[in-house]
Amino acid sequence: MTEFFRWLVFLMFVVLAPPVSVGIIRKVKARLQNRIGASIFQPLFDLLKFYSKGETVSEVTSWIFRSSAGINFALVLIIALLVPWVQFKPHVASADIFLVIYLFAFMRMMTVLAALDAGSAFGGFGASREVTLALLIEPALVLCLASLGVVSRTSDLEQIFSFANLALSNQPGLWLLAGSGLFLTSLVELSRMPVDDPTTHLELTMVHEAMILENSGRNLLLVEYTHALKLLVLFGLSAQCFLHAIAPVWQLPAVLISAASGGAVLITLALVGVQEGLSVKLRWTRLPEFIAYAVTMALLSVLVAIAGRLGS
Amino acid sequence: MTLSIYELAVLSASILAIFLLGTTYIRTNLGFYSAQTMAIAAATMLAGSQREPHLYVIALIILLLKAVGIPVFLIWIADRIDAQTDAGTYLPAPLSMHLGILLLGASYILSSELPMMLGHGQGSSRIGATAAMSLLFSGILVMLTRRIAISQIIGFLMIENGIYLFALTQTHGMPMMVEMGILLDVLVGVMIAGLLLFRIKKSFEHIDASQLTQLKD
Amino acid sequence: MGQLLLLSAIPLILAFLSLAAADERSVRRIVAAMLWAQIAVVGWFVAPLLLGAQTLLSFAPDFCLDRLGACFVMLTTTVVACAATHADTFFAGEAEHGHIHNPAHFKIFYACLNMFLLAMSAVFICDNLGYIWISVEATTLFSAPLVYFDRTKNALEATWKYLIICSVGIAFALLGTVFVFASSQHGAIVQGSLNITKLVAHASELDYSLLRLGFIFCLLGYGTKAGIFPLHSWLPDAHSEAPAPASAMLSGALLNCALFGIWRVSRIVVASHHHAFAYEMVTVLGTLTVVAAAIFLIRQHSFKRMWAYSSIENVGLILVAIGIGSGALFFLQALNHSLAKVALFLLSGNIAQAAGSKRLHDLHGVWKASPPLGLLLALAALAVTGAPPFGAFVSEMLIFQSSATPAHWLVATLLVVAVAIAFVAVMTHVGRILLGGAKADFRAFKPVLASLVPGALVIGSLVMGVFAHPRFWEGL
Repeated sequence: MTEFFRWLVFLMFVVLAPPVSVGIIRKVKARLQNRIGASIFQPLFDLLKFYSKGETVSEVTSWIFRSSAGINFALVLIIALLVPWVQFKPHVASADIFLVIYLFAFMRMMTVLAALDAGSAFGGFGASREVTLALLIEPALVLCLASLGVVSRTSDLEQIFSFANLALSNQPGLWLLAGSGLFLTSLVELSRMPVDDPTTHLELTMVHEAMILENSGRNLLLVEYTHALKLLVLFGLSAQCFLHAIAPVWQLPAVLISAASGGAVLITLALVGVQEGLSVKLRWTRLPEFIAYAVTMALLSVLVAIAGRLGS
Repeated sequence: MTLSIYELAVLSASILAIFLLGTTYIRTNLGFYSAQTMAIAAATMLAGSQREPHLYVIALIILLLKAVGIPVFLIWIADRIDAQTDAGTYLPAPLSMHLGILLLGASYILSSELPMMLGHGQGSSRIGATAAMSLLFSGILVMLTRRIAISQIIGFLMIENGIYLFALTQTHGMPMMVEMGILLDVLVGVMIAGLLLFRIKKSFEHIDASQLTQLKD
Repeated sequence: MGQLLLLSAIPLILAFLSLAAADERSVRRIVAAMLWAQIAVVGWFVAPLLLGAQTLLSFAPDFCLDRLGACFVMLTTTVVACAATHADTFFAGEAEHGHIHNPAHFKIFYACLNMFLLAMSAVFICDNLGYIWISVEATTLFSAPLVYFDRTKNALEATWKYLIICSVGIAFALLGTVFVFASSQHGAIVQGSLNITKLVAHASELDYSLLRLGFIFCLLGYGTKAGIFPLHSWLPDAHSEAPAPASAMLSGALLNCALFGIWRVSRIVVASHHHAFAYEMVTVLGTLTVVAAAIFLIRQHSFKRMWAYSSIENVGLILVAIGIGSGALFFLQALNHSLAKVALFLLSGNIAQAAGSKRLHDLHGVWKASPPLGLLLALAALAVTGAPPFGAFVSEMLIFQSSATPAHWLVATLLVVAVAIAFVAVMTHVGRILLGGAKADFRAFKPVLASLVPGALVIGSLVMGVFAHPRFWEGL
């Protein structure tokens, strides 16, 4: 029975939470800018609107364009089921670090191919920017997760993030560093501020928007939903890292931990909103400096992780 | 590895120093320097609660003069001479930041060479030595890779921070008079250097230290 | 405490007076006169040490004077007094030649001069490694305005390099001091101590590896301040851009302070009986410095830079004397170098002022243009390069003799060859300056008056060479 409830709660979360999380970020940003802002359910209504609209597909595209939205949707659902981005996620299968990273890469590949398939200039430069950023940020993502894996001596994400894993129970420094690294990495992966402005549709600032420009109707619904779920998973992961850093949480009973993890995700989303409101978009040539900070956090967490094994 | 608050404070000072390496904006650099000095003052206060009360006084003075006074003074000068960023660095900032991390790892390995002392546990003295050495290395890196004169002052201040941290973690704390004298010397030195910076800007129209090559054999 | 006040009263009062006075000409005269009074005060204070009645004079916790320190304090005060006396004539000549300076600059110059004297004296009086560090750093800070006196672009560049390089170098000396302090906490001294007497007494109980690290960093740090070979780049700039009296003080007194710091730390290492590495290091660095300076002296194109490199050469020789472990040779070489170098810098100031240029190829025919200055220049140059019958010859011979052991044959050979090369180079340059046709616009300002102080110093060097008795320096 509890397993059934768990699945029910989790699936409802997976269906409803992504658009709502985008709405939360926008609401926080609006409040910071002294606006009332749209309701947090507005992205959900937008998605429903897309459902009822017709599709316009360019004639020069091939099966790649038509199928990429569906493939990405499937992939992100798999990722959401594997990666422990909230504590009440039911166990599905072992989520190896590299499996997850390759799934993300697969998603990226399909998006990029779809963008190139349409043959437009926007798609072309959006794809090239996305791939450049991915190239630069990949080490940070791998190293953050790997440093956690080294200390817990396993590469299974579920075991790393489980509160039953005592190897990682008293490592606030490591969790904080890995969490900050993952947070900065997520900003780059998802093309949020200060890497790219998700609200504009100007050539100067589009990375993600440029790639999905050709989609419309139900494809657009799938694409928007996929991006929102990816956002939730990535920020949820860094939220879990920050949660693990707080020592008293380890002593709480399981129900409270699950609730706390949900709260942590909420707080992280609010943090992203604040970050959106306060930061400016960096010029493209200055991005490597920002990404260097993400890699620095990852390297520091690696250093802390292997410190026990360096010259003792 | 589990770290006490004291160790966290000293390590965060050295991590902030590494962050300083990654940016060339003068105001950001001074902000990181101020944060790292505050972390060192916090570490001094924690050490004072364990060892000698005169460390409290030193912590307060470091907080007021070095963490607040010097950065405010240098920002005032940087505004006057219109120095916003260090455009010419010999090593790109991100690379020097990563080099700083490598040196942090190297300091950890080197710190096992130093004979450890202080009664309260093997770990704390070693972490302290690591943080101090890494601060020293970061300061040297700043002095070597940055070109404009104000960055040289920041590098010198970081080296002084590292040496102070060495004294704090490897000894029972240097005598009060000596610490005060050192602080006074550093302050006066920074003031004289800052005033010279004005003159350099007025005379040479730039503050690029690598172009001060008129005097040579 | 009262004795500290006594020693520092006159310089402090003079510093305040310089800032507060209205007329800078009277400031110059008063400072010059009162500094001779300061020599009398210091002499009266250290007389028991010099005459052999006492070997140690301790008058406050962490302040103590031994015979070597007493000799150096006398030397320093004498150097500053001579420089200040000559400065009066020199600056009057500056005004005469049209280099008008803002009166405020003079006030700052003289105020810093007095504080500089105070800081330098403090180095020799302190018995605490931390206080020595503070004093050495204070000398850097007080001498920076002296170097910057001319306010030209070159002076600015020289002051900047001086300040930054010396401050970073001395920061490393602070690291060395921290290491020595840490080494003392391992030993019998419970709370650790920076007091040199205590450290020397408990030297065998100090932690050896920390002490060694401390010595190396102190050597590098204070060595930067002294101008040893790889770290000397600030020295020619600072000593050539400063006005002549300031250069004289920098070369004649400040280098001794830095070397004295190295000496004190080496005493601690020696007392721990593991000093072989220390002596090796110091001797090697000293030899390297002498050889490098000699090579640099061959090609010179600026008058005062040449004397700066000669100072570097002498610093190398003094380092070898420290490496031999002899305090007497240390002081003797320093004394002879100071006497001759101060005379040289003061003379060079007047000659450059008269000719209107510091560049060597602008200077020629000084002998014909102004015989007193020319004669003194020749004698002083002979004195500084170690030609007999001047004092430097005696001290250099003693250094060569002490280092000519079978183990150190290379050191001795290199030293002899380098000093010879330096001698030839310097005399060639000086020869070119003295001989040849006189320049038309060579106007020496009051040449006889200007030759008084350098002349006295050259005579002093001669006396040291001819009449100095070994008994004078035996007890050091």
